[in-house]
Amino acid sequence: MTHARTQPSIDTRAADEAELLARLRDGDERAFEMLVDRHYGTMLAVARGYVKSRAVAEEVVQEAWLGVLKGLDRFEGRSSLRTWIIRIVANIAQTRGAREARSVPLSSLAPEGEEAAVDPDRFRGRDDAFPGHWRAYPSDWRALPEHALLGRETLALVMAAVSELPPAQRQVIVLRDISGLSSEEVCEALDISGGNQRVLLHRARSRVRSALEAHVDG
Amino acid sequence: MAERGLHVTCSEVVELVTEYLERALPAEEATRFEEHLNFCDGCIVYVEQIRATVGTVGRLHEDDVPPHAKEQLMAAFRDWRRSP
Repeated sequence: MTHARTQPSIDTRAADEAELLARLRDGDERAFEMLVDRHYGTMLAVARGYVKSRAVAEEVVQEAWLGVLKGLDRFEGRSSLRTWIIRIVANIAQTRGAREARSVPLSSLAPEGEEAAVDPDRFRGRDDAFPGHWRAYPSDWRALPEHALLGRETLALVMAAVSELPPAQRQVIVLRDISGLSSEEVCEALDISGGNQRVLLHRARSRVRSALEAHVDG
Repeated sequence: MAERGLHVTCSEVVELVTEYLERALPAEEATRFEEHLNFCDGCIVYVEQIRATVGTVGRLHEDDVPPHAKEQLMAAFRDWRRSP
């Protein structure tokens, strides 16, 4: 494992959430600040999947928090607090994005067209004795020193690659691989099918891998 | 989708890898995927590259709360608390 993300068990999380909710309803400011710190980045990533600029995404997130406060007393815990919060921000961002779409092309969460994970020229052609097989193997990154994949320069490059992804792909890879949401949580929060979610994740990871490969292999 | 033969090719492995890692492949296809990895070092290395990519992306941080946004939110919370 290159990194360890400790996922609390469902029970711990539920107990933790119940306690947090009680404190919020009591008006505990520190509890609210904790909630904001915990979910803000995820919310911004969700919003950025639907609206054009970061500034608008920030506005959407602020509006979503007001919605969270308004609904807090009625929240019944049927979904996790996180999923509920993400649904709120996704709804507001979708509405806002649809309004923007009159002048800007709307990013759709439905994956469009075909997109090869790896340049097709890297595989042998139909007339070859081994069609569809690698012409030359990709390089073995397990032999690399740790900093090659985790050094500051590499992380900056990967961050740039993620931010250049089409919005829907970026949204899914951030939620899955940075925020640590499960595939079920992402589907529920964004209201997309498991299949769509996997296609977006696949394209996103494939593109980032290519960027990383170009950097690592030079 | 084109009909797949008895064997999975390398060019198919790179398209199936996410479904494989997500455990979303039907059992039969997952078996053929693994059988391919048994004899193809190139694809073993490729799957490892994808895992490494996920690991590297996982080291990135979510965006922090901009200070002005935090201030506004704390003020909104205080208003909310005061409201009946």
